[in-house]
Amino acid sequence: MKLNSKIPSGNIQQKWDNYKFSAKLVNPNNRKKFDIVIIGSGLAGASAAASLGEQGYNVKVFTLPDTPRRAHSIAAQGGINAAKNYKYDGDSIYRLFYDTVKGGDYRAREANVYRLAQISNQIIDHCVATGVPFAREYGGLLDNRSFGGAQVSRTFYARGQTGQQLLLGAYSQMMRQVAAGTVNIFPRMEMLDIVIKDGKARGIIARNLVTGKIERHSAHAVLLCTGGYSNVFYLSTNAANCNVSAAWAAYKKGAGFANPCFTQIHPTCIPRSGEHQSKLTLMSESLRNDGRVWVPLNKGDKRKPSEIPETERDYYLERIYPAFGNLVPRDIASRAAKRMIDEGRGVGPTGQAVYLDFRDAIKKQGVEKIKEKYGNLFDMYYQITDENGYETPMRIYPAPHYTMGGLWVDYELMTTIEGLFALGEANFSDHGANRLGASALMQGLADGYFIISSTLPNYLANASFSKADIGDEEFKEAENEASARVRKILSSKGSKTPAEFHRELGDIMWNYCGMSRSEESLKKALSLIPRLKEEFWQNLKIYPNEDFNQTLEKALKVADFIEFAQLLVKDALERKESCGGHFREESKTPEGEARRDDENFSYVSVWEYAGDKKEPVLNKENLQFENLKPSVRSYK
Amino acid sequence: MNLRFALRLFTSSLGKKTVMALSGLALTFFMLVHLAENLLLLKGEAAYNGWVDFLLSNPLIPLAELGLLAVFLAHIITGLWVRYENYKAAGFSKYEESKSQGGRTIGSATMIYTAFALLAYLIYHMMHFRFADHSIGFYQMVTEAFRNKVFVAIYVAGALALALHVSHGFQSAFQTLGLNHDKYFSFIKTAGYITALFMTLFAMLSLYFLLGLDAKFSSPYQQKVLETVIN
Amino acid sequence: MENKGFSITLRIWKQASAESEGSFQVYKIDNVIADMSFLEMLDVLNEKLLKEGKEPVAVESDCREGICGCCGLVINGDVHGPDEHSTVCQLHMRRFRDGDVITIEPFRASSFPHIKDLVIDRSALDKIIAAGGYISANAGSAPEANSLPVNKPLAEKAMDAAACIGCGACVAACPNSAAMLFTGAKISHLALLPQGGPERHLRALNMVKAMDSLGFGNCSNEYECEAVCPKEIKISNIARMNREFLKANFLSEEEIEK
Repeated sequence: MKLNSKIPSGNIQQKWDNYKFSAKLVNPNNRKKFDIVIIGSGLAGASAAASLGEQGYNVKVFTLPDTPRRAHSIAAQGGINAAKNYKYDGDSIYRLFYDTVKGGDYRAREANVYRLAQISNQIIDHCVATGVPFAREYGGLLDNRSFGGAQVSRTFYARGQTGQQLLLGAYSQMMRQVAAGTVNIFPRMEMLDIVIKDGKARGIIARNLVTGKIERHSAHAVLLCTGGYSNVFYLSTNAANCNVSAAWAAYKKGAGFANPCFTQIHPTCIPRSGEHQSKLTLMSESLRNDGRVWVPLNKGDKRKPSEIPETERDYYLERIYPAFGNLVPRDIASRAAKRMIDEGRGVGPTGQAVYLDFRDAIKKQGVEKIKEKYGNLFDMYYQITDENGYETPMRIYPAPHYTMGGLWVDYELMTTIEGLFALGEANFSDHGANRLGASALMQGLADGYFIISSTLPNYLANASFSKADIGDEEFKEAENEASARVRKILSSKGSKTPAEFHRELGDIMWNYCGMSRSEESLKKALSLIPRLKEEFWQNLKIYPNEDFNQTLEKALKVADFIEFAQLLVKDALERKESCGGHFREESKTPEGEARRDDENFSYVSVWEYAGDKKEPVLNKENLQFENLKPSVRSYK
Repeated sequence: MNLRFALRLFTSSLGKKTVMALSGLALTFFMLVHLAENLLLLKGEAAYNGWVDFLLSNPLIPLAELGLLAVFLAHIITGLWVRYENYKAAGFSKYEESKSQGGRTIGSATMIYTAFALLAYLIYHMMHFRFADHSIGFYQMVTEAFRNKVFVAIYVAGALALALHVSHGFQSAFQTLGLNHDKYFSFIKTAGYITALFMTLFAMLSLYFLLGLDAKFSSPYQQKVLETVIN
Repeated sequence: MENKGFSITLRIWKQASAESEGSFQVYKIDNVIADMSFLEMLDVLNEKLLKEGKEPVAVESDCREGICGCCGLVINGDVHGPDEHSTVCQLHMRRFRDGDVITIEPFRASSFPHIKDLVIDRSALDKIIAAGGYISANAGSAPEANSLPVNKPLAEKAMDAAACIGCGACVAACPNSAAMLFTGAKISHLALLPQGGPERHLRALNMVKAMDSLGFGNCSNEYECEAVCPKEIKISNIARMNREFLKANFLSEEEIEK
């Protein structure tokens, strides 16, 4: 596998401009001759469809739900970063670049991150112009708030629904192109495979979820905007439909998969209440501004929290990290909670939670003040748990939330397959080993609105395309493979449901490849996953109808998750250092903190598919830090 | 001049609603005037007949009647049209267990029933008063009807249907015309309920005569009280 | 009775496809736990059905945190269930008691064609948006964001209207299956912001026209939509749409498209 990151020449400030000037363009009259297939309609997919449609390309968007507006970008709460420096508190493009690279624990590509920081300001301009109702100050100008990992106030927000407002903005821009005739939406469609012809991505095979019909669609380029794979852990903050299948299909067709082990665990989620649990709900990390995190001092203390006296409580974050206390970064807080629970000091009916206590804050500021700041979060907590957070401490637990890893892409967002691009969370490019809050929305929109609309024309103008017709052998073959797979699942006669397999996979991943990973645990996972895979294909229980069939949809996703999990664990095993969201027990400081190993692991792991029976091949893209010097993060 | 816009307007959902609202408000206004006229019955034969004679002496009255008819027809036809479209969009009952989600009122939920009741009543009313023999004098004709139990029963039912209809229709018209603001919408709703209450005065008036209260209150002192109320 | 399961009876609308006849199917389910969400209870039912070799009930959901607008059911006659201003996914079983009989129907409206069981097609709402629910500004053409100050109370009102999740509960609850609250919310959102000004007339005309042509009913101002809206969108947005539409008809300089 050849990894050419195609980073443009020049100093970091000029790379993007240099690139845009050297890129080839497509004549406006020729654009409608190019068919672009976009998989996914979240921030990246919808904004890409909008910007490419505006330029005049012929765009087809495929999405799982009944309408493209439901993509999971909609659930993002906090905000979107930009280097506007409206607060005049020392922010700049360079500082946003610096914070993002540092926050990612120096495992991201400098040139990409700098471009992201540059574009961040354009994103805000465009969103405001297209009607996103960002929060404002009384003077009518835009308001900002602070977020983790930064010392400046640079986060733009629309109440606690920033993701929703940005997605609906991008969606409306896409619908404008639907009206203009440049974009066509294909709802309730699931991509099953990518069609490669002459080494280029030339189309897709997709299944109509209502009729069950398998369709072929040809294209000059395919854009995967399919989000992250947190659902490999079964329980995560992701939506039920989020999956790895499209990225996995790309991987199997030759696209490199980068850093799959970089997953982010968010510390403040509502814990699971039992076996039936289907998802975990995130609560804004801003709660840690006033809430104090604690567990009982003694193991197995089953008393009510109000009956545990002050002397028998362990405010462990304040104890271990006196400098940052309850406000340590996400990865640190998550791992500390896990340690407490592993010691047997977890609370609640399942023992899988820690307390987030507002008693002292309420005593000091009054319940009204707390209500004003976090009222909606307390309401949500009440709705889900039936507990009043004002009277009894909340129970929280970390949950998988975001995946920094994804398909490897070069500076143009193209994967190692020509003509196949990956945008947004689906690619690996900008967040290194850990993502800062309010940066996911920024990246999705940067990729879709501003980057792909400059890089895709360069590919289209340079490539020579043979005719690709859906009657071609390549399409037939891909469809046959895909429908064979569907038929194989439909004909299974076992006794275990897809959800049971998914739950079992989640247990393996969470227990052996979750917040903290060791060679031993990872090897254990590597021995368990193939067994699960084998059982899956022998003992799957399915309802066999061919048209609308949600158990089939689920089974297809779970099958891919099981295969992918193997790669994730392999990557985690190979990366013997701790960095960002990836924590290896073997690589820690004497105090138990993560220890990065720049000497041996300052690279992007890019995995190459070698066949079903063969081990994947590891390729490395070495990271060059020409502008920033990797340093150690400490929070004590 | 291009009137296509008018056609487009009045065939659109919101245009039809506008016709409903404007005609509804006009009819409400007409009913209030009608009520004021009826209240003249309390002042006695001379006053009432004097007013009617004055009205009928106006040569424009037939024209006004036609106008009123047009407003009625606009309200009725548009209402039926809208109702038909709503039936196409939703059928009669959408769910096995249909229940109010908290927005409906008795007035709003019975709008279509009170509408048909009022239409039936209107026809009855027209035949009874408008296309009847007026030779015995208007006051005599009305008060005689008001002393008939069956007539009063129908009349009271009509008035109550009207009140119910107006209780929803009044605020609904303002909403349709876009005159809803958090600042004053509750005031409009209250005004609607008060107007609806006024409509029940029709019923009370008929009962007043049915129970023979006009004879009781005909002392000079009571007459004076009534005069101040009416004026 | 915290972690002790209870039993309920479900009467669920089953319908194989838009063309076929539907009917209620009765299912009994034990071990319902108070902490389960309503959808998780249906998950349990579907797992049980699958294990028994019976066809699971088709039901849709995605984010399960009340924002994607995917789930939507009528539960005992209540759109989105008995909790006020909430979505089905936020409803928990502690609202029910042992022995309850729960009737579950899909959202119904002629403009929302049936797909299967509890699954319907709400893409008509997309068509309303495509008719004008946007501001025409190409990526890269925007002026500096702070060059246009926006009155804060208006921005807040725009946000109130923009909070719509497109679940279609307003249409489902409306006795006339009207989409006025949905359409009014989008027209309001964009009319309240100065950025939406240049297109406001055309937008109102075209979106109302699309709404009408898609077979949604007329508003009879009963406000059932406002009562069920998970995002508490107010009917004053419908009034604003009406104003916008009337103004556009009488004052606009542009002709309606097509």
